[in-house]
Amino acid sequence: MKIIGLIITVVTGALLIYAAADFPAWSDPASPASTYLSPHFIEKTMEETSVPNIVTAVLADYRGFDTMFETTVIFSAGVVCFFLLRISRREEEEPETRYYRHVLTGVTIQLKEGYKMPPSADFERIDAVWTPPDLIIKTGCRILIPFVQLFALYVIAHGHHSPGGGFQGGVILGASVILLAISHDLRTAVRRMSEKLIGILCAVGVFIYAGTGALCLLLKQNFLDYSALAGVLHVDPITARSHGILIVEIGVGIAVLATMIWIYNNISSAGRYRQGL
Amino acid sequence: MSEQYPALLVIVPLLSALVVSVAGWVNKRWCFPIAVAALSVSAWSSVGLLFRVLNEGVIVYKLGGWSPPMGIAYYIDYLNGLVLPVVSIVALLNLISSKRTVEQQFPDKTGPFYTLYVLMVTGLLGIVVTGDAFNLYVLLEIASLTGYGLLAMGEERAPLATLNYLYMGTIGACFYLLGIGYLYIVTGSLNMVDIARLLPPLYQSKAVLAAFIICMVGVWLKMAFFPLHAWLPNAYTFANSASSSLIAPLVTKVMVYVMIRLMLTIFTPKFVFNTLAVHDAVVWLAVIAIAMGAVLALKERNLKKMLTYIVVAEVGYMVGGAWLGNRAGLTGAVLHIVNDALMTLCVFLVVGNIVYKIKGYAFGDLKGLFAKMPFTMGAFVIGALSIIGVPPTCGFFSKWYLILGAIQAHQYGFMVALLFSSLINVVLFFRVFEIGFYEPFSDHEGHEHHPAVMAEAPLTMLVPLYVVAISLILVGLYTGDIVNHIVQFVIPKGFM
Repeated sequence: MKIIGLIITVVTGALLIYAAADFPAWSDPASPASTYLSPHFIEKTMEETSVPNIVTAVLADYRGFDTMFETTVIFSAGVVCFFLLRISRREEEEPETRYYRHVLTGVTIQLKEGYKMPPSADFERIDAVWTPPDLIIKTGCRILIPFVQLFALYVIAHGHHSPGGGFQGGVILGASVILLAISHDLRTAVRRMSEKLIGILCAVGVFIYAGTGALCLLLKQNFLDYSALAGVLHVDPITARSHGILIVEIGVGIAVLATMIWIYNNISSAGRYRQGL
Repeated sequence: MSEQYPALLVIVPLLSALVVSVAGWVNKRWCFPIAVAALSVSAWSSVGLLFRVLNEGVIVYKLGGWSPPMGIAYYIDYLNGLVLPVVSIVALLNLISSKRTVEQQFPDKTGPFYTLYVLMVTGLLGIVVTGDAFNLYVLLEIASLTGYGLLAMGEERAPLATLNYLYMGTIGACFYLLGIGYLYIVTGSLNMVDIARLLPPLYQSKAVLAAFIICMVGVWLKMAFFPLHAWLPNAYTFANSASSSLIAPLVTKVMVYVMIRLMLTIFTPKFVFNTLAVHDAVVWLAVIAIAMGAVLALKERNLKKMLTYIVVAEVGYMVGGAWLGNRAGLTGAVLHIVNDALMTLCVFLVVGNIVYKIKGYAFGDLKGLFAKMPFTMGAFVIGALSIIGVPPTCGFFSKWYLILGAIQAHQYGFMVALLFSSLINVVLFFRVFEIGFYEPFSDHEGHEHHPAVMAEAPLTMLVPLYVVAISLILVGLYTGDIVNHIVQFVIPKGFM
């Protein structure tokens, strides 16, 4: 079986290399890919969309419809992880004994026979296998996280001018919350962003993107034709395209942020939301 | 309004999927009505589009207002005009029918289930409606990813079977993407019509040849064409019934549509049948697919798995028909996309009803079923007759066109395979009828000769099932109209 697999791989690889012989030369300025559509994008992007970064304009405007579905792909990944992994409260047996830790003193209390402690700021619930987070790591991450998030917002907002945009910024934002979960524990991160909030944010992010498109439709233009927003934003149709891109980038950022955290929470805790990793 | 149908068709389910997802967190009871409403709008738009195509011809819709080679365009002609209503209506009927099973099988997760379901339909509709080769890939990703999620929820072996599917499906999608990449390198365009315009001078290029081969292999992997079918039976069998009755009728058929689209629109028949001239070999592969599908189905002692092998054989019908390279064969293949979607839906809905009531689908569980669930089994008989190809049902007509095409192309092997598989189907289904009709009902404790009590599935499951069963006969009776008004315009000029 392994031999057959090897033969198939070699044959496929050979076919692809054989076919590559007919490709235009490497970085050939006369190749079809650089002479057919690219000149239009290079020459007209600023004029048509008022976005200095051509990549952003192609991604979020000329081919914005693809990008909307790429965001939907990420959203689906989040939903699939939740759908397959999350163990619902009904299926999960509640532990007989619960552990609580007094935050200031570090004293741990054990409650048996299903007793619960009323929610209070002094005590936090912990799992049976709980290791105290390391002080250096914890403090280091606390200092780091706000700067990570600030940088993420910059990446989202600056996508018009430099490399960046919703996907990258969203990933960095999500990573900051995941860093919190790694450096402290999952419960701390879930307290900051509850499961419900994440689930809703995921959908809201994609909804901002698709909703902007639908708004253009309601304003009697084609779907995702941002120039229709000119009336709403009180700008000329070309600038409206630039603003439209910013709006959808924010949507992408929110969707990616929430999905990253959602996937991390579900996979790291095997759908139980107790102790992550 | 009607000029926005192409956008509404895909956008309404997309937005609704997001609303369903939020509703899942707020109040679960809203999820189902929203999903039904969304798919109804899709079905309405797709039927509206079909009528617009019949009146006006090809429709082009520019997304974002950018003209085709720059931006993405939707492109609706007779081929996808016919497939779109099938996809949306099949999805809608199955959604209505599976409400009870979903609530029975995973009561806590109805929210994410309906979200994924509606997203999957969005993906399939998007694949069919688009005129952009890369946009097709993005939608393919959505349909596949949600499909893996839906199929993995099921019996104990479902996740492993789906993991297999995930590997194979991802390779298939990657191959398609690689092929489109090759085409982009040599033409610089992603729009299907535009690529077709730029390709003719490059027909001798090795890169175009490779692009065609890898695109085809990728699509064949996704549709489970014979040597690449191994992932399908287990993935479909072990999944929950609501998902398998969505995915079994639609995914393979949509991929057959993509194959025909690649052959007719992007690469054009001139390249596929004159320059390449491998169609005889592909038809022989289809012959093997049909024969192996039939034989493997005969081996199964389990209704659902038997049906999945029939799906594999049916893929062979459509691939073979499309590659015969004549008018009758292609007519048969396109007609069979419609018919097979409906037939497969019919029999998988029956399995869904049986699982809902009996909790099993092995042959042993089917004893005395005609007495216990007479209406469900009545619809099963209609579906089975259609798959066998008995005259008033639609299965006969597409098979007739396929056989006609095989004779005209002098592909007698394909003709024999079609007849052979029909005979095997007779054996397969009459064996099930026999078990259901003559063997006494026995419950799981093994009490023989237990008096059969009628325990029919609820009306919400029976009504959609009968709509499908009756449509099998109606589509059969109106085959002439479908061929004369729609399918004959699909066939490019110069086809014999």
